[in-house]
Amino acid sequence: MEYIIQTNNLSKKFGKELAVNGVDIQIPKGEIYGFLGPNGAGKSTTIRILLGLMKPTFGNIAIFGKDLKSERINILKKVGSLVENPSYYPHLTAKENLEAIRKIVGVPKTRIDEVLKTVRLQDAANKKVKGFSLGMKQRLGIASALLNKPELLILDEPTNGLDPSGIIEIRELIKSLPEKYGMTILISSHLLSEIDQIATTVGIITKGKMIFQDSIEELRMFAQQHIKLKVSQHERAWRALLANGMKAELEDGHILLSDQTDQHVAEAVQLLVQQGISIYRVEEDKKSLEDIFLQMTKEELAG
Amino acid sequence: MLAILQSEWFKLRKSKITLLLFVGPLIGLFIGLTGNSLNVGEQMNQWYAPLFMMNFTYAILFLPLITGVLASVICRYEHQEGGWKQLLALPVTRGKVFLTKYLLLILLVLFIQILYLGAIYAVGTIKGFTDPFPLTIVWKSIIGGWVATMPLVALQLWLSILFKSFAAPFAVNVIFTLPTILVVNSERFGPYYPWAQPFSMMYVGGSTDDVFFIPWDQLLTVVGGGFLVFFLCGYIYFQRKPI
Ligand SMILES: Nc1ncnc2c1ncn2[C@@H]1O[C@H](COP(=O)(O)OP(=O)(O)OP(=O)(O)O)[C@@H](O)[C@H]1O
Ligand SMILES: [Mg+2]
Repeated sequence: MEYIIQTNNLSKKFGKELAVNGVDIQIPKGEIYGFLGPNGAGKSTTIRILLGLMKPTFGNIAIFGKDLKSERINILKKVGSLVENPSYYPHLTAKENLEAIRKIVGVPKTRIDEVLKTVRLQDAANKKVKGFSLGMKQRLGIASALLNKPELLILDEPTNGLDPSGIIEIRELIKSLPEKYGMTILISSHLLSEIDQIATTVGIITKGKMIFQDSIEELRMFAQQHIKLKVSQHERAWRALLANGMKAELEDGHILLSDQTDQHVAEAVQLLVQQGISIYRVEEDKKSLEDIFLQMTKEELAG
Repeated sequence: MLAILQSEWFKLRKSKITLLLFVGPLIGLFIGLTGNSLNVGEQMNQWYAPLFMMNFTYAILFLPLITGVLASVICRYEHQEGGWKQLLALPVTRGKVFLTKYLLLILLVLFIQILYLGAIYAVGTIKGFTDPFPLTIVWKSIIGGWVATMPLVALQLWLSILFKSFAAPFAVNVIFTLPTILVVNSERFGPYYPWAQPFSMMYVGGSTDDVFFIPWDQLLTVVGGGFLVFFLCGYIYFQRKPI
């Protein structure tokens, strides 16, 4: 498979502490890669390293199949980025901020109006950024990242500080980019709901370690549903099911059936009724992604 | 490189530095016009009197101080709101960014020097000097003063990248600049003190045998050596600075 970003054992030490610990990122072309992790997990540090702002303590990075160390300039020509809080020159207007970048990336001047329009900042184009709200600064940051029509867009918590309608707007914008322009996107967040709504591939990092990396569907599979039965004599009911070769688990006085086909559920219920067990409730037990995330990070802590 | 220079100039131009560039030459003009007391011999060119007085304040205090202020300004907006990380995530090398900022600074100092030249000329014209304008000597002084600031600019750029605050590099600059008033009178230390070099190289009464007003070996070791040390330290520091 063609990976736009591929890291190998990427690690960064601050003093004695490993802020990034042996991370292997693989981002296929055209994906929206959700880089998920709690505060202080090492997301921004990883992103800084990917952009060459910091040197890794060890590990290799290939972007567009090229080694970052030796071909940084050629790589960055095709990358747009937004790292942590939006960066800007406070003494310049939104337009001038983009112009300062444009002079370096060398795109036509018309591109400035295009990106300002894309992030809906045209009306504030000639205002000093000093006086912008956080959401407006964030929009300007995204506009700056889009200026050079990048093939790879790296956004560190881009919806920070946006109001709900702004979040939806930016989310729709980001979602449309791979299809429209063939972009590959790395977007970080500490909110699973955010990633769930935008990403096609997910990497979960906590305490510097990658604990999950796969498609969003795989992540959702973790949220495997169960059928939960509340019955009168759960011990006896559970044994009866097992004795008849059905898969069942006992948890908190409930019986969980992992095979949830209609037929299987019907058979199980019938069996229990025949055994003279009263069935109070048959319900679907769906774990939220939030639960899975917590569970995964907890397992990591325990292990 | 040209693209980075244009971008740097654009950012700097919008930060109201124009006024700063005119301060020094205006101070010179003021001193030249008001100071009347200096009595030079009849044989001396009329232009020398205001030159001595103007150079004294300008080259000892103003020129070293302004290098620090300009260096701080050119780094300030990068420090303020994440400018460094945005700039360095663009397809630029740190070496080129450092070099560009340095280049822009010494070009600005050259511009100030040329304005100062204009101020000298204005003083003489206003006072109605009849002696010929000592062009060679003045040029030596202007260009010499400019060359002498090169190590100071390198040091101030380094410090301005190192310190986020505006005050720290400025304080360092003041601490080293003020003793110059004493140092220039010392035969022993004067020639070796980097902050005294702008004055020495602008001092029109100096030896005129060499191209500049100071001997070549002093130019090479103190100015050239100072430049090399400060520039390399700043350059290497910037290469390694985690952003
Ligand atoms: N320059 C630095 N010097 C020392 N430690 C640092 C530095 N930058 C980050 N760290 C540490 O590295 C760890 C990871 O920080 P990082 O900013 O990468 O987290 P993050 O995942 O981006 O968190 P958040 O969601 O809060 O943005 C933290 O423990 C932080 O304290
Ligand atoms: Mg972060």
